[in-house]
Amino acid sequence: MTDVQDIEAVTTQVKIDGQPDQKTRKYDRQLRLWAASGQSALENARILAISATATSTSILKNLVLPGIGHFTILDPQQVTPQDAGNNFFLEGQNSIGKSRAKEATRLLAELNEDVNSAADERSLEEILESETGREWIKEFTLIIAHNLEKGLLDRLAKLLWEDAKSPTLVVVRSAGFLAEFYIQFHEHTIIDSHSDSTPSLRIDKPFPALLDYALSLDFDKMDPTDHGHVPYVYILVRALEEWKKTHDGKPPQAYSDKKAFKASILSKKFKQDEENFDEAEAQAYRTWSVTGVPSEIQALFKDPLSPSSAANAATPLTPDSPPFFHLLDALRRFTEKEPFVLPLTSTLPDMKANTESYIHLQKLYKKRSEEERDVIRELVKETGGEVDDATLDLFVRNAHAVKVMRGKRWGVLDESEEALGNAVDPSGKPLSIHLALSALSEITAKQISPLTVEAVTKEAQTILPKGKELPEDWDNIVGEMHVFSPTADLPNTAAFLGGMVAQEVIKMITRQYIPIDGYCTADLIETWTGILLA
Amino acid sequence: MSQTTVDATSGDWEGRYDHIDQVLNTAGPRTDPGFLAGDGVKDFLRNQAKILVIGAGGLGCEILANLALTGFKDIHVIDMDTIDISNLNRQFLFRPKDVGKPKATCAAEFIMNRVPGVKVTPYFGKIQDKDEEYYMQFNLVICGLDSVEARRWMSATLVNMVDPENPESLKPLIDGGTEGFKGQARVILPSITSCYECSLDMLNKPTAFPICTIANTPRLPEHCIEWASVLEWPKVQGDKKLDTDDPEHIGWLYQVASARAKEFKIEGVTWSLTQGVVKNIIPAIASTNAIIAGMSACCNEAFKIATSSAAYLNNYFMLIGTEGVYSYTFEHEKRDDCPVCGGESLDLTISKDLTVEQIIELLVERQDIQIKKPSLATPTSQIYLQAPPQLEQATRPNLSKKVSELVAEDGEVTVTSTSLPFSLSLRIHYN
Ligand SMILES: [Zn+2]
Repeated sequence: MTDVQDIEAVTTQVKIDGQPDQKTRKYDRQLRLWAASGQSALENARILAISATATSTSILKNLVLPGIGHFTILDPQQVTPQDAGNNFFLEGQNSIGKSRAKEATRLLAELNEDVNSAADERSLEEILESETGREWIKEFTLIIAHNLEKGLLDRLAKLLWEDAKSPTLVVVRSAGFLAEFYIQFHEHTIIDSHSDSTPSLRIDKPFPALLDYALSLDFDKMDPTDHGHVPYVYILVRALEEWKKTHDGKPPQAYSDKKAFKASILSKKFKQDEENFDEAEAQAYRTWSVTGVPSEIQALFKDPLSPSSAANAATPLTPDSPPFFHLLDALRRFTEKEPFVLPLTSTLPDMKANTESYIHLQKLYKKRSEEERDVIRELVKETGGEVDDATLDLFVRNAHAVKVMRGKRWGVLDESEEALGNAVDPSGKPLSIHLALSALSEITAKQISPLTVEAVTKEAQTILPKGKELPEDWDNIVGEMHVFSPTADLPNTAAFLGGMVAQEVIKMITRQYIPIDGYCTADLIETWTGILLA
Repeated sequence: MSQTTVDATSGDWEGRYDHIDQVLNTAGPRTDPGFLAGDGVKDFLRNQAKILVIGAGGLGCEILANLALTGFKDIHVIDMDTIDISNLNRQFLFRPKDVGKPKATCAAEFIMNRVPGVKVTPYFGKIQDKDEEYYMQFNLVICGLDSVEARRWMSATLVNMVDPENPESLKPLIDGGTEGFKGQARVILPSITSCYECSLDMLNKPTAFPICTIANTPRLPEHCIEWASVLEWPKVQGDKKLDTDDPEHIGWLYQVASARAKEFKIEGVTWSLTQGVVKNIIPAIASTNAIIAGMSACCNEAFKIATSSAAYLNNYFMLIGTEGVYSYTFEHEKRDDCPVCGGESLDLTISKDLTVEQIIELLVERQDIQIKKPSLATPTSQIYLQAPPQLEQATRPNLSKKVSELVAEDGEVTVTSTSLPFSLSLRIHYN
């Protein structure tokens, strides 16, 4: 089997050929999650953090470590004794009285020499006042605002919402053991969602080369060893073809048919221990589950906000439309033709087979998959789209799981009586947390003191539509926050939020994995998280 | 610049703990009834509590920083590893200049520099080096390890330490773990709640490739890599031990696997995959570690347990962050037949024809047992012992005997292994 000389030739020239460079080694554990493409997206991103609270610096830490391109901390304040006590990115009493932006930036920057950073001691208010300030803010990729005063937050959110090209805004609010965060974005498209679902092998609709090859195999005359190593894909394609001949061209449908079909597969065994036939039996469902376009993908085709070249499209596709939508539109047109399926995957699962037959099958899939990818490329050209090959490949490989998310402006929920009213029953706990944090920020803005449970409850009640009662969880939640810790930025809550928010920021920037949809709320007393839809 | 007065002994300054004190000064609606708000709890937290952190890696760094900021002043940390360049994307207490140094020592130094007044005592070595007396000095143990074996050992050791006559002997164990965007954390009250061993069957089974596939019908790049490491390395390198941290060794495997892949026209052998397969690398990032350390495992639970300021986790928290954020808390049940905390023996029904060798294989494969190189004995005689060599030799003939010749129906078999600090009691039945 193995040419011994070959191996020896290799082993004598032991050098560390192919060892990755320093940077790849440093980022190894994360490159296994988001690959070089995700890493390069991170390295091109510029983050602005408004204020250097313990929570803000915790978030930034988890972005600096994986190698974000740049961060700026905007903070006019000086470090207080309280800050020095709860923030890991300040140096205890040595930092007290110094610029909080500068101290935090210095100590965060030393985490990763690949990251650029800047400390800015202006106030957000000052920046929002001027045109140049507003332009400056829009140059970032993403902005993180922790416990920002309500008036300023609303102004900032509005400014960023006006133009769809403005940075994403991540709003983070916390008090003691309670927290929430929200991502304001217009539209977020994801090619590589890292979905657990696998694309169809199209055994029910075999492409010509696959069908021809499967039918050319003469199972009965095969060498017994080869017979035990025929990949299940061939076994199924062939068995289905034979079945259809005697069943009006239809695959097994009734339960009894399916049973008979499985039995017929097993009856083809030469010997009891031929595992490839056992695999074929286990995978028999692939012959009767029809390969089509998944409903989630069909929904994307019909989305009126997605640019499309369809005759009656609400949003017409133009050459300037983002490449994603050229690809999506090409995909739609691809699926509208026979055999009404998504482009073929080139990735085969492992299966019982000998090397030769498996590699041969792999080649059949790869060739066909490349042909179909080329069709998509031509379709993209028809609409004037420009897509590089790497993106095209990635899109075709993930065509079964691409996603388009549409966001809402920060604050929309609190303005909608209907949405709030509808959330009371099904989402009592996340809504309570959200209302408590909203009420707290209203009260702080109005400078009402002292902070009492009654005052906060009254404020929350005014946010809810008239006649709607506060959720059942309210008493637990509001008591926790207001009697207890209205302004506490606890190290553990900060660490937790630091992880959660950074994770979502990474998903937004890399356009991989699926970010939260709505408000993510957390109650660290009960070690609990929950989503409140916006 | 404002003038700050720092207390010489505690290192504290006025206002240092204002954020945390908001929680400690008054009781909330869900505060544990045993909570004594105010000075008592602060004194315990800052002057009396002694905490042990096991692991100074991804989770460990986060845990140490959080504990220090929370106000724990006497923290011990154990870790047997040295710093590798691939740690730097998340283990934020280390810098490139620290590569090669012990994690425990570096982490302790960093925390003490950054958070004045906190004492962190490092131990660069194995948890197994320490005895019960050592573990008895702590109020709480927090585990941030990636090794299943070490976690089993720690959990079993703490269960064994429980003396019903002495409440101080019960040491709460908080255990956290992460993998990519996923993580979990749990609180174990040894002998009271489910222990680590109770939940062993929840672990994912590691992918194992059949030897015949590796040797004869490789199809995937992984098969070629396994061929290089499992079959070719011992054949070509003889007794030289494969060190998966040595780039030269990985380089050799990579070359050999690549040549094999080329011969079989298999695509996809890369350095990174080679390293991933032979080291069984689990992807890891700072953010997930921060979530698990901040929320449950680690510090918030420690804070809640140590201060009774709120009900603590009962008892298992899981987080999945690949699609949105999904978390789930449930009570993992104690297993009556848990070999560590259950007290009952495990019933095993086998065929009368099963040989001793086969029952050993069966035990090794059982997901809820996961034992390496088990030795077997009945209360009256040895069945098979893996060591020492003389006894191994003496009991080896039993391997081919049927279990039913050596053990009666309903008979007891004690299983031991050097990898475990406890013995497993089996009750054998024949079908
Ligand atoms: Zn147990």
